[in-house]
Amino acid sequence: MPETSIGMAPQGQAERAKFEQELQRIVAAGDAARLTLRVLGALAFRTHCPQFGYLQEKMGRSYTDIDFAAYARDSKGIRALMAGLGYAEDKEVFVVSEGSRAIFENPQSHIHVDVFYEKLDFCHVIPWNGRLEMDSPTIPLAEMVLEKTQIVQINEKDVIDMIMLFLEHGLGEDDREIINIKRIAKLCAEDWGLWRTVSMNLEKIDKLAQNYDTLNSEHKARVSSQVGEALRLMEAEPKSMAWRLRARVGDRVKWYKDVDEVK
Amino acid sequence: MAQLVKDLMHPGIITCQADMTLGRVAEVLIEQHLHALVVADRDGRLLGVLSDFDLMAAEWLSSDAKSLEAMRTMTAGELMTTPVDSVEAGMPACDAAQKMRSGGTSRLIVIERGKPVGIISTSDIVASMMRARPLGRMNVADVMSRAILVCREETPLCSVARAMTDAQFRSVLVVDAMGRPLGVVSGFDMLAYCGEDGCAEATAGQAMHEMLTIRPDASLREAADMMIQHHHHRLVVVDPEENEAMPVGMISTFDIVFEMAHPSSVWQQ
Repeated sequence: MPETSIGMAPQGQAERAKFEQELQRIVAAGDAARLTLRVLGALAFRTHCPQFGYLQEKMGRSYTDIDFAAYARDSKGIRALMAGLGYAEDKEVFVVSEGSRAIFENPQSHIHVDVFYEKLDFCHVIPWNGRLEMDSPTIPLAEMVLEKTQIVQINEKDVIDMIMLFLEHGLGEDDREIINIKRIAKLCAEDWGLWRTVSMNLEKIDKLAQNYDTLNSEHKARVSSQVGEALRLMEAEPKSMAWRLRARVGDRVKWYKDVDEVK
Repeated sequence: MAQLVKDLMHPGIITCQADMTLGRVAEVLIEQHLHALVVADRDGRLLGVLSDFDLMAAEWLSSDAKSLEAMRTMTAGELMTTPVDSVEAGMPACDAAQKMRSGGTSRLIVIERGKPVGIISTSDIVASMMRARPLGRMNVADVMSRAILVCREETPLCSVARAMTDAQFRSVLVVDAMGRPLGVVSGFDMLAYCGEDGCAEATAGQAMHEMLTIRPDASLREAADMMIQHHHHRLVVVDPEENEAMPVGMISTFDIVFEMAHPSSVWQQ
Protein backbone atom coordinates (compact mmCIF):
# COMPACT_ATOMS: atom_id res chain seq x y z
CA MET A 1 0.00 0.00 0.00
CA PRO A 2 1.77 3.23 -1.07
CA GLU A 3 2.16 5.75 1.73
CA THR A 4 1.87 8.62 -0.69
CA SER A 5 -1.64 7.68 -1.85
CA ILE A 6 -4.33 10.38 -1.78
CA GLY A 7 -5.43 11.10 1.76
CA MET A 8 -2.19 9.77 3.25
CA ALA A 9 0.22 12.58 4.05
CA PRO A 10 1.27 14.45 7.19
CA GLN A 11 -1.21 17.27 7.80
CA GLY A 12 -0.74 20.10 10.30
CA GLN A 13 -3.27 20.92 12.99
CA ALA A 14 -4.14 24.25 11.33
CA GLU A 15 -4.91 22.59 8.02
CA ARG A 16 -7.09 19.95 9.72
CA ALA A 17 -8.90 22.67 11.67
CA LYS A 18 -9.56 24.56 8.45
CA PHE A 19 -11.50 21.57 7.06
CA GLU A 20 -13.28 20.85 10.35
CA GLN A 21 -14.41 24.47 10.75
CA GLU A 22 -15.56 24.69 7.16
CA LEU A 23 -17.54 21.48 7.62
CA GLN A 24 -19.29 22.96 10.65
CA ARG A 25 -20.08 26.14 8.70
CA ILE A 26 -21.66 24.19 5.82
CA VAL A 27 -23.59 21.82 8.11
CA ALA A 28 -24.97 24.75 10.17
CA ALA A 29 -26.04 26.58 7.01
CA GLY A 30 -27.61 23.39 5.63
CA ASP A 31 -29.57 22.82 8.85
CA ALA A 32 -30.77 26.43 8.83
CA ALA A 33 -31.95 25.97 5.23
CA ARG A 34 -33.70 22.69 6.26
CA LEU A 35 -31.67 20.68 3.78
CA THR A 36 -30.87 17.00 4.34
CA LEU A 37 -27.12 17.20 3.92
CA ARG A 38 -25.04 14.46 5.56
CA VAL A 39 -21.27 14.18 5.76
CA LEU A 40 -19.35 11.17 4.52
CA GLY A 41 -15.66 10.50 3.96
CA ALA A 42 -12.77 11.22 6.35
CA LEU A 43 -14.53 14.05 8.17
CA ALA A 44 -17.58 11.85 8.87
CA PHE A 45 -15.32 9.25 10.47
CA ARG A 46 -13.59 11.92 12.54
CA THR A 47 -16.96 13.39 13.60
CA HIS A 48 -18.39 10.00 14.60
CA CYS A 49 -15.31 8.80 16.47
CA PRO A 50 -14.61 11.25 19.34
CA GLN A 51 -12.61 8.60 21.25
CA PHE A 52 -10.55 7.04 18.47
CA GLY A 53 -10.58 9.83 15.89
CA TYR A 54 -7.08 10.80 16.97
CA LEU A 55 -5.83 7.76 15.04
CA GLN A 56 -6.36 9.59 11.76
CA GLU A 57 -3.74 12.19 12.61
CA LYS A 58 -1.47 9.70 14.33
CA MET A 59 -1.53 7.32 11.37
CA GLY A 60 -1.03 10.04 8.76
CA ARG A 61 -4.57 10.10 7.40
CA SER A 62 -5.24 13.58 6.00
CA TYR A 63 -8.31 15.52 4.86
CA THR A 64 -8.43 16.32 1.15
CA ASP A 65 -12.02 17.46 0.60
CA ILE A 66 -15.49 17.51 2.16
CA ASP A 67 -18.04 14.96 0.95
CA PHE A 68 -21.79 15.07 1.43
CA ALA A 69 -24.75 12.78 0.75
CA ALA A 70 -28.08 14.34 -0.18
CA TYR A 71 -31.38 13.72 -1.92
CA ALA A 72 -31.90 14.92 -5.52
CA ARG A 73 -34.97 16.89 -4.41
CA ASP A 74 -32.59 19.22 -2.49
CA SER A 75 -30.17 19.81 -5.36
CA LYS A 76 -31.47 23.33 -6.13
CA GLY A 77 -31.38 24.28 -2.45
CA ILE A 78 -27.84 22.91 -2.08
CA ARG A 79 -26.68 24.83 -5.16
CA ALA A 80 -28.06 28.06 -3.68
CA LEU A 81 -26.60 27.25 -0.25
CA MET A 82 -23.11 26.62 -1.60
CA ALA A 83 -23.22 29.77 -3.74
CA GLY A 84 -24.17 31.74 -0.64
CA LEU A 85 -21.18 30.25 1.18
CA GLY A 86 -18.83 31.45 -1.55
CA TYR A 87 -18.50 28.25 -3.59
CA ALA A 88 -18.47 27.96 -7.38
CA GLU A 89 -20.00 24.88 -8.99
CA ASP A 90 -18.45 22.82 -11.75
CA LYS A 91 -21.77 22.55 -13.56
CA GLU A 92 -20.50 20.07 -16.10
CA VAL A 93 -20.17 17.39 -13.41
CA PHE A 94 -23.86 17.68 -12.50
CA VAL A 95 -24.87 17.40 -16.16
CA VAL A 96 -22.50 14.57 -17.07
CA SER A 97 -23.44 12.58 -13.96
CA GLU A 98 -27.13 13.09 -14.80
CA GLY A 99 -27.74 14.86 -11.54
CA SER A 100 -26.17 12.25 -9.31
CA ARG A 101 -23.14 14.31 -8.32
CA ALA A 102 -22.16 17.96 -7.81
CA ILE A 103 -18.72 19.47 -7.20
CA PHE A 104 -18.15 22.86 -5.61
CA GLU A 105 -14.87 24.75 -5.10
CA ASN A 106 -14.18 27.62 -2.78
CA PRO A 107 -11.81 30.00 -4.63
CA GLN A 108 -10.52 31.50 -1.35
CA SER A 109 -9.88 28.40 0.77
CA HIS A 110 -9.49 26.05 -2.21
CA ILE A 111 -11.66 23.57 -0.34
CA HIS A 112 -13.38 21.14 -2.65
CA VAL A 113 -16.89 19.86 -1.81
CA ASP A 114 -18.44 16.78 -3.40
CA VAL A 115 -22.17 16.08 -3.10
CA PHE A 116 -23.52 12.61 -3.94
CA TYR A 117 -27.23 12.66 -4.71
CA GLU A 118 -29.45 9.66 -3.98
CA LYS A 119 -26.59 7.14 -3.91
CA LEU A 120 -22.91 6.47 -3.84
CA ASP A 121 -22.10 4.85 -7.17
CA PHE A 122 -18.54 3.63 -7.37
CA CYS A 123 -17.64 -0.08 -7.43
CA HIS A 124 -21.18 -0.81 -6.20
CA VAL A 125 -24.30 1.26 -5.64
CA ILE A 126 -25.13 2.27 -2.07
CA PRO A 127 -28.58 3.92 -2.09
CA TRP A 128 -29.53 6.63 0.38
CA ASN A 129 -33.28 6.06 0.08
CA GLY A 130 -34.74 7.10 3.40
CA ARG A 131 -31.48 6.43 5.26
CA LEU A 132 -30.13 9.98 5.57
CA GLU A 133 -32.73 10.80 8.23
CA MET A 134 -31.29 8.05 10.48
CA ASP A 135 -28.28 10.08 11.60
CA SER A 136 -26.88 13.59 11.65
CA PRO A 137 -24.61 15.33 10.72
CA THR A 138 -23.10 12.23 9.08
CA ILE A 139 -24.59 9.42 7.03
CA PRO A 140 -25.54 6.44 9.26
CA LEU A 141 -22.70 4.26 10.53
CA ALA A 142 -23.83 1.32 8.35
CA GLU A 143 -23.53 3.47 5.23
CA MET A 144 -20.11 4.67 6.44
CA VAL A 145 -18.99 1.02 6.55
CA LEU A 146 -20.44 0.39 3.09
CA GLU A 147 -18.92 3.60 1.70
CA LYS A 148 -15.47 2.23 2.47
CA THR A 149 -15.93 -1.50 1.99
CA GLN A 150 -17.57 -1.23 -1.44
CA ILE A 151 -14.22 -0.10 -2.89
CA VAL A 152 -12.52 -3.09 -4.52
CA GLN A 153 -9.08 -1.47 -4.42
CA ILE A 154 -9.41 -0.34 -0.79
CA ASN A 155 -6.44 1.78 0.30
CA GLU A 156 -4.74 2.65 3.53
CA LYS A 157 -6.79 5.74 4.34
CA ASP A 158 -9.97 3.70 4.08
CA VAL A 159 -8.54 0.97 6.29
CA ILE A 160 -7.59 3.53 8.95
CA ASP A 161 -11.10 5.03 8.90
CA MET A 162 -12.64 1.59 9.28
CA ILE A 163 -10.35 0.60 12.14
CA MET A 164 -11.41 3.77 14.01
CA LEU A 165 -15.07 3.01 13.41
CA PHE A 166 -14.83 -0.59 14.61
CA LEU A 167 -12.96 0.51 17.75
CA GLU A 168 -15.52 3.19 18.55
CA HIS A 169 -18.86 1.51 17.71
CA GLY A 170 -20.45 -1.89 18.32
CA LEU A 171 -22.66 -3.85 15.94
CA GLY A 172 -26.45 -3.98 16.27
CA GLU A 173 -29.76 -3.65 14.52
CA ASP A 174 -30.40 0.09 14.76
CA ASP A 175 -28.54 3.28 13.92
CA ARG A 176 -28.09 5.03 17.28
CA GLU A 177 -24.31 5.10 17.74
CA ILE A 178 -24.34 1.50 16.54
CA ILE A 179 -23.29 0.02 13.20
CA ASN A 180 -26.54 -1.34 11.80
CA ILE A 181 -25.15 -4.65 10.61
CA LYS A 182 -28.65 -5.86 9.74
CA ARG A 183 -28.83 -3.14 7.06
CA ILE A 184 -25.41 -4.14 5.70
CA ALA A 185 -26.26 -7.83 5.75
CA LYS A 186 -29.58 -7.20 4.01
CA LEU A 187 -28.02 -5.20 1.16
CA CYS A 188 -25.28 -7.82 0.78
CA ALA A 189 -27.87 -10.62 0.75
CA GLU A 190 -29.56 -9.02 -2.25
CA ASP A 191 -26.39 -8.51 -4.28
CA TRP A 192 -23.66 -11.15 -4.41
CA GLY A 193 -21.19 -8.67 -5.92
CA LEU A 194 -21.58 -6.27 -3.00
CA TRP A 195 -21.28 -9.17 -0.56
CA ARG A 196 -18.11 -10.34 -2.30
CA THR A 197 -16.41 -6.95 -2.12
CA VAL A 198 -17.56 -6.06 1.41
CA SER A 199 -16.60 -9.44 2.88
CA MET A 200 -13.25 -9.38 1.07
CA ASN A 201 -12.49 -5.91 2.45
CA LEU A 202 -13.58 -6.73 5.99
CA GLU A 203 -11.09 -9.60 6.00
CA LYS A 204 -8.45 -7.27 4.58
CA ILE A 205 -9.11 -4.64 7.26
CA ASP A 206 -8.72 -7.24 10.01
CA LYS A 207 -5.50 -8.55 8.50
CA LEU A 208 -3.95 -5.10 8.03
CA ALA A 209 -5.02 -3.91 11.49
CA GLN A 210 -2.84 -6.61 13.03
CA ASN A 211 0.27 -4.98 11.46
CA TYR A 212 -0.16 -1.42 12.80
CA ASP A 213 2.23 -0.59 15.62
CA THR A 214 -0.03 2.36 16.53
CA LEU A 215 -2.67 -0.13 17.72
CA ASN A 216 -2.27 -2.09 20.94
CA SER A 217 -3.21 -5.76 21.29
CA GLU A 218 -6.59 -4.87 22.78
CA HIS A 219 -7.41 -2.69 19.76
CA LYS A 220 -6.34 -5.42 17.36
CA ALA A 221 -8.47 -8.01 19.15
CA ARG A 222 -11.46 -5.66 19.09
CA VAL A 223 -11.15 -5.12 15.32
CA SER A 224 -10.86 -8.89 14.78
CA SER A 225 -13.88 -9.62 16.90
CA GLN A 226 -16.02 -6.94 15.21
CA VAL A 227 -15.03 -8.11 11.71
CA GLY A 228 -15.67 -11.76 12.63
CA GLU A 229 -19.12 -10.94 13.99
CA ALA A 230 -19.99 -8.78 10.96
CA LEU A 231 -19.00 -11.60 8.58
CA ARG A 232 -20.96 -14.14 10.62
CA LEU A 233 -24.13 -12.02 10.50
CA MET A 234 -23.71 -11.36 6.77
CA GLU A 235 -23.38 -15.10 6.23
CA ALA A 236 -26.47 -15.83 8.30
CA GLU A 237 -28.74 -13.44 6.39
CA PRO A 238 -31.04 -15.38 4.01
CA LYS A 239 -29.95 -14.88 0.40
CA SER A 240 -32.11 -14.22 -2.65
CA MET A 241 -32.35 -16.66 -5.57
CA ALA A 242 -30.36 -14.20 -7.73
CA TRP A 243 -27.63 -14.10 -5.06
CA ARG A 244 -27.33 -17.87 -4.94
CA LEU A 245 -27.24 -18.17 -8.70
CA ARG A 246 -24.62 -15.43 -8.97
CA ALA A 247 -22.56 -17.08 -6.23
CA ARG A 248 -22.28 -20.24 -8.32
CA VAL A 249 -20.62 -18.24 -11.11
CA GLY A 250 -18.31 -16.58 -8.57
CA ASP A 251 -15.21 -14.64 -9.57
CA ARG A 252 -15.21 -16.00 -13.15
CA VAL A 253 -17.22 -12.92 -14.11
CA LYS A 254 -16.30 -9.44 -12.84
CA TRP A 255 -18.62 -8.45 -10.02
CA TYR A 256 -17.90 -4.72 -9.66
CA LYS A 257 -17.52 -1.54 -11.70
CA ASP A 258 -14.11 -0.02 -12.14
CA VAL A 259 -14.05 3.30 -10.33
CA ASP A 260 -12.57 5.01 -13.37
CA GLU A 261 -15.66 4.03 -15.36
CA VAL A 262 -17.91 6.09 -13.12
CA LYS A 263 -15.71 9.09 -12.45
CA MET B 1 -57.30 -41.18 -1.55
CA ALA B 2 -54.34 -38.82 -1.46
CA GLN B 3 -52.19 -38.90 -4.56
CA LEU B 4 -48.65 -40.10 -4.17
CA VAL B 5 -45.51 -38.69 -5.70
CA LYS B 6 -45.15 -41.78 -7.92
CA ASP B 7 -48.64 -41.15 -9.38
CA LEU B 8 -47.67 -37.69 -10.62
CA MET B 9 -43.95 -37.94 -11.38
CA HIS B 10 -42.34 -38.21 -14.79
CA PRO B 11 -40.64 -41.61 -14.75
CA GLY B 12 -37.01 -41.82 -15.77
CA ILE B 13 -34.23 -39.29 -15.45
CA ILE B 14 -32.42 -37.55 -18.27
CA THR B 15 -28.89 -36.72 -17.25
CA CYS B 16 -25.95 -34.81 -18.63
CA GLN B 17 -22.25 -34.88 -17.81
CA ALA B 18 -20.79 -32.26 -15.52
CA ASP B 19 -18.48 -30.98 -18.26
CA MET B 20 -21.28 -30.14 -20.71
CA THR B 21 -21.22 -26.46 -21.71
CA LEU B 22 -24.20 -24.22 -20.98
CA GLY B 23 -24.85 -23.78 -24.70
CA ARG B 24 -25.12 -27.54 -25.16
CA VAL B 25 -27.35 -27.85 -22.07
CA ALA B 26 -29.71 -25.30 -23.67
CA GLU B 27 -29.81 -27.41 -26.84
CA VAL B 28 -30.64 -30.59 -24.91
CA LEU B 29 -33.40 -28.88 -22.93
CA ILE B 30 -35.06 -27.72 -26.15
CA GLU B 31 -34.53 -31.03 -27.96
CA GLN B 32 -35.99 -33.05 -25.09
CA HIS B 33 -38.73 -30.52 -24.14
CA LEU B 34 -37.35 -30.33 -20.60
CA HIS B 35 -37.03 -27.58 -18.01
CA ALA B 36 -34.07 -29.14 -16.20
CA LEU B 37 -31.34 -31.73 -16.56
CA VAL B 38 -29.86 -33.83 -13.82
CA VAL B 39 -26.07 -33.64 -13.76
CA ALA B 40 -24.43 -37.00 -13.16
CA ASP B 41 -20.88 -38.35 -13.01
CA ARG B 42 -19.60 -41.11 -15.29
CA ASP B 43 -20.82 -43.78 -12.85
CA GLY B 44 -24.33 -42.34 -12.96
CA ARG B 45 -24.20 -40.79 -9.50
CA LEU B 46 -26.39 -37.67 -9.31
CA LEU B 47 -24.38 -34.54 -8.65
CA GLY B 48 -26.90 -31.71 -9.06
CA VAL B 49 -29.68 -30.20 -11.13
CA LEU B 50 -29.41 -27.51 -13.80
CA SER B 51 -32.67 -25.80 -14.74
CA ASP B 52 -33.66 -23.40 -17.49
CA PHE B 53 -33.83 -20.72 -14.78
CA ASP B 54 -30.17 -21.39 -13.87
CA LEU B 55 -29.26 -21.01 -17.55
CA MET B 56 -30.61 -17.43 -17.40
CA ALA B 57 -27.35 -16.62 -15.57
CA ALA B 58 -25.53 -17.05 -18.88
CA GLU B 59 -27.46 -14.19 -20.50
CA TRP B 60 -27.72 -12.17 -17.28
CA LEU B 61 -23.98 -12.02 -16.67
CA SER B 62 -22.70 -11.75 -20.25
CA SER B 63 -22.61 -7.97 -20.18
CA ASP B 64 -19.35 -7.65 -22.10
CA ALA B 65 -17.09 -9.77 -24.30
CA LYS B 66 -14.93 -10.94 -21.38
CA SER B 67 -17.90 -12.03 -19.30
CA LEU B 68 -19.49 -13.72 -22.30
CA GLU B 69 -16.32 -15.72 -22.87
CA ALA B 70 -16.23 -16.75 -19.18
CA MET B 71 -19.85 -17.87 -19.31
CA ARG B 72 -19.34 -19.69 -22.62
CA THR B 73 -16.71 -21.90 -21.00
CA MET B 74 -18.73 -22.54 -17.85
CA THR B 75 -20.09 -26.06 -17.48
CA ALA B 76 -23.19 -27.74 -16.13
CA GLY B 77 -21.20 -29.00 -13.15
CA GLU B 78 -20.12 -25.48 -12.26
CA LEU B 79 -23.56 -23.87 -12.47
CA MET B 80 -25.76 -26.69 -11.17
CA THR B 81 -27.67 -26.55 -7.90
CA THR B 82 -26.36 -28.91 -5.26
CA PRO B 83 -27.21 -30.97 -3.35
CA VAL B 84 -30.02 -32.67 -5.26
CA ASP B 85 -33.36 -32.34 -3.44
CA SER B 86 -35.28 -35.58 -3.44
CA VAL B 87 -38.50 -37.21 -2.23
CA GLU B 88 -39.61 -40.78 -1.72
CA ALA B 89 -41.89 -42.16 -4.43
CA GLY B 90 -44.42 -43.27 -1.82
CA MET B 91 -44.69 -39.84 -0.20
CA PRO B 92 -48.05 -37.99 -0.53
CA ALA B 93 -47.86 -35.43 -3.35
CA CYS B 94 -48.97 -32.62 -1.00
CA ASP B 95 -45.90 -33.33 1.16
CA ALA B 96 -43.72 -33.01 -1.94
CA ALA B 97 -45.48 -29.69 -2.71
CA GLN B 98 -44.70 -28.50 0.81
CA LYS B 99 -41.07 -29.54 0.40
CA MET B 100 -40.84 -27.55 -2.86
CA ARG B 101 -42.38 -24.48 -1.18
CA SER B 102 -40.13 -24.56 1.86
CA GLY B 103 -37.01 -25.23 -0.20
CA GLY B 104 -37.90 -22.71 -2.90
CA THR B 105 -37.31 -25.38 -5.55
CA SER B 106 -39.40 -26.29 -8.62
CA ARG B 107 -38.51 -29.95 -8.94
CA LEU B 108 -37.49 -32.93 -6.85
CA ILE B 109 -35.78 -36.18 -7.79
CA VAL B 110 -37.99 -39.14 -6.90
CA ILE B 111 -36.26 -41.97 -5.06
CA GLU B 112 -37.51 -45.54 -4.67
CA ARG B 113 -35.56 -48.17 -2.77
CA GLY B 114 -32.58 -45.84 -2.70
CA LYS B 115 -32.49 -45.32 -6.48
CA PRO B 116 -33.64 -42.33 -8.55
CA VAL B 117 -36.69 -43.31 -10.58
CA GLY B 118 -38.12 -40.01 -11.82
CA ILE B 119 -38.70 -36.30 -11.37
CA ILE B 120 -41.69 -34.46 -9.98
CA SER B 121 -42.06 -30.77 -10.79
CA THR B 122 -44.46 -27.96 -9.91
CA SER B 123 -46.12 -28.51 -13.33
CA ASP B 124 -46.95 -32.10 -12.39
CA ILE B 125 -48.54 -30.97 -9.14
CA VAL B 126 -50.41 -28.12 -10.85
CA ALA B 127 -51.75 -30.60 -13.44
CA SER B 128 -53.07 -32.80 -10.63
CA MET B 129 -54.86 -29.82 -9.04
CA MET B 130 -56.88 -29.24 -12.20
CA ARG B 131 -58.56 -32.60 -11.62
CA ALA B 132 -59.86 -31.58 -8.19
CA ARG B 133 -63.34 -30.44 -9.11
CA PRO B 134 -66.77 -31.06 -7.59
CA LEU B 135 -69.22 -33.60 -8.98
CA GLY B 136 -72.24 -32.43 -10.97
CA ARG B 137 -73.37 -30.57 -14.05
CA MET B 138 -71.00 -27.69 -14.74
CA ASN B 139 -71.48 -24.25 -16.17
CA VAL B 140 -69.13 -22.15 -18.30
CA ALA B 141 -67.27 -20.65 -15.32
CA ASP B 142 -66.46 -24.13 -13.97
CA VAL B 143 -64.93 -25.36 -17.20
CA MET B 144 -63.46 -22.31 -18.94
CA SER B 145 -59.76 -21.52 -18.99
CA ARG B 146 -59.25 -18.55 -16.71
CA ALA B 147 -55.67 -18.04 -17.82
CA ILE B 148 -55.72 -16.78 -21.40
CA LEU B 149 -53.11 -15.83 -23.91
CA VAL B 150 -53.51 -12.24 -25.12
CA CYS B 151 -51.81 -9.93 -27.59
CA ARG B 152 -52.34 -6.50 -29.12
CA GLU B 153 -53.67 -5.85 -32.65
CA GLU B 154 -50.26 -4.82 -33.93
CA THR B 155 -48.51 -7.98 -32.66
CA PRO B 156 -46.71 -9.70 -35.59
CA LEU B 157 -48.31 -13.01 -36.46
CA CYS B 158 -44.98 -14.81 -36.14
CA SER B 159 -44.89 -13.70 -32.45
CA VAL B 160 -48.44 -14.98 -32.00
CA ALA B 161 -47.35 -18.31 -33.51
CA ARG B 162 -44.42 -18.53 -31.13
CA ALA B 163 -46.54 -17.72 -28.07
CA MET B 164 -49.16 -20.31 -29.06
CA THR B 165 -46.51 -22.95 -29.60
CA ASP B 166 -44.58 -22.20 -26.40
CA ALA B 167 -47.67 -22.00 -24.22
CA GLN B 168 -49.45 -24.84 -26.03
CA PHE B 169 -52.51 -22.63 -26.54
CA ARG B 170 -54.69 -23.03 -29.62
CA SER B 171 -55.90 -19.43 -29.76
CA VAL B 172 -54.95 -15.92 -28.71
CA LEU B 173 -57.32 -13.17 -27.59
CA VAL B 174 -56.59 -9.82 -29.26
CA VAL B 175 -57.11 -6.81 -26.97
CA ASP B 176 -56.68 -3.05 -27.26
CA ALA B 177 -54.45 -0.88 -25.07
CA MET B 178 -57.06 -0.92 -22.31
CA GLY B 179 -57.45 -4.71 -22.35
CA ARG B 180 -60.80 -4.57 -24.15
CA PRO B 181 -61.34 -7.69 -26.33
CA LEU B 182 -61.32 -7.13 -30.09
CA GLY B 183 -61.23 -10.63 -31.59
CA VAL B 184 -59.61 -14.04 -31.52
CA VAL B 185 -56.77 -15.50 -33.56
CA SER B 186 -56.96 -19.29 -33.84
CA GLY B 187 -54.64 -21.77 -35.51
CA PHE B 188 -57.17 -21.99 -38.33
CA ASP B 189 -57.00 -18.22 -38.89
CA MET B 190 -53.25 -18.51 -39.24
CA LEU B 191 -53.37 -21.06 -42.03
CA ALA B 192 -54.04 -18.22 -44.50
CA TYR B 193 -50.63 -16.76 -43.65
CA CYS B 194 -48.72 -20.01 -44.00
CA GLY B 195 -46.39 -18.60 -46.70
CA GLU B 196 -43.19 -17.23 -45.18
CA ASP B 197 -43.68 -13.70 -46.48
CA GLY B 198 -47.30 -13.48 -45.37
CA CYS B 199 -46.46 -14.46 -41.81
CA ALA B 200 -43.58 -12.01 -41.54
CA GLU B 201 -45.73 -9.05 -42.54
CA ALA B 202 -49.12 -9.89 -41.02
CA THR B 203 -50.41 -8.81 -37.62
CA ALA B 204 -52.86 -10.30 -35.15
CA GLY B 205 -55.35 -7.56 -36.03
CA GLN B 206 -55.41 -8.73 -39.65
CA ALA B 207 -55.72 -12.41 -38.86
CA MET B 208 -58.27 -12.30 -36.03
CA HIS B 209 -61.87 -13.36 -36.44
CA GLU B 210 -64.91 -11.86 -34.81
CA MET B 211 -65.46 -13.25 -31.34
CA LEU B 212 -68.58 -14.59 -29.72
CA THR B 213 -69.10 -13.86 -26.05
CA ILE B 214 -70.88 -15.78 -23.32
CA ARG B 215 -71.66 -15.21 -19.62
CA PRO B 216 -69.73 -17.19 -16.97
CA ASP B 217 -72.99 -18.51 -15.47
CA ALA B 218 -74.26 -19.87 -18.80
CA SER B 219 -74.69 -23.65 -18.95
CA LEU B 220 -72.43 -25.89 -21.00
CA ARG B 221 -75.47 -26.70 -23.12
CA GLU B 222 -75.83 -22.99 -23.99
CA ALA B 223 -72.12 -22.82 -24.84
CA ALA B 224 -72.36 -25.91 -27.05
CA ASP B 225 -75.44 -24.48 -28.74
CA MET B 226 -73.70 -21.19 -29.52
CA MET B 227 -70.60 -22.96 -30.86
CA ILE B 228 -72.66 -25.25 -33.12
CA GLN B 229 -75.05 -22.56 -34.36
CA HIS B 230 -72.22 -20.19 -35.29
CA HIS B 231 -69.59 -22.82 -36.04
CA HIS B 232 -67.11 -21.31 -33.57
CA HIS B 233 -64.65 -23.46 -31.67
CA ARG B 234 -64.25 -21.10 -28.77
CA LEU B 235 -66.17 -18.38 -26.92
CA VAL B 236 -64.88 -15.42 -24.98
CA VAL B 237 -66.31 -15.37 -21.45
CA VAL B 238 -67.17 -11.85 -20.29
CA ASP B 239 -68.62 -10.42 -17.13
CA PRO B 240 -72.13 -9.23 -18.13
CA GLU B 241 -71.73 -6.24 -15.78
CA GLU B 242 -68.52 -5.16 -17.57
CA ASN B 243 -68.84 -6.08 -21.22
CA GLU B 244 -65.89 -3.92 -22.27
CA ALA B 245 -63.54 -5.09 -19.55
CA MET B 246 -60.83 -7.70 -19.91
CA PRO B 247 -62.63 -11.06 -20.34
CA VAL B 248 -62.71 -13.45 -17.41
CA GLY B 249 -61.76 -16.46 -19.52
CA MET B 250 -62.27 -18.49 -22.68
CA ILE B 251 -64.11 -21.74 -23.26
CA SER B 252 -63.35 -24.04 -26.16
CA THR B 253 -64.76 -27.25 -27.59
CA PHE B 254 -61.77 -28.96 -26.00
CA ASP B 255 -62.73 -27.65 -22.53
CA ILE B 256 -66.23 -29.05 -22.88
CA VAL B 257 -65.06 -32.42 -24.22
CA PHE B 258 -62.41 -32.58 -21.48
CA GLU B 259 -65.18 -32.06 -18.92
CA MET B 260 -67.32 -34.78 -20.54
CA ALA B 261 -64.40 -37.21 -20.27
CA HIS B 262 -63.78 -36.45 -16.59
CA PRO B 263 -64.60 -39.39 -14.28
CA SER B 264 -66.89 -37.18 -12.18
CA SER B 265 -68.85 -35.97 -15.22
CA VAL B 266 -72.45 -37.04 -15.74
CA TRP B 267 -71.31 -38.47 -19.08
CA GLN B 268 -69.17 -41.07 -17.32
CA GLN B 269 -71.71 -42.17 -14.68
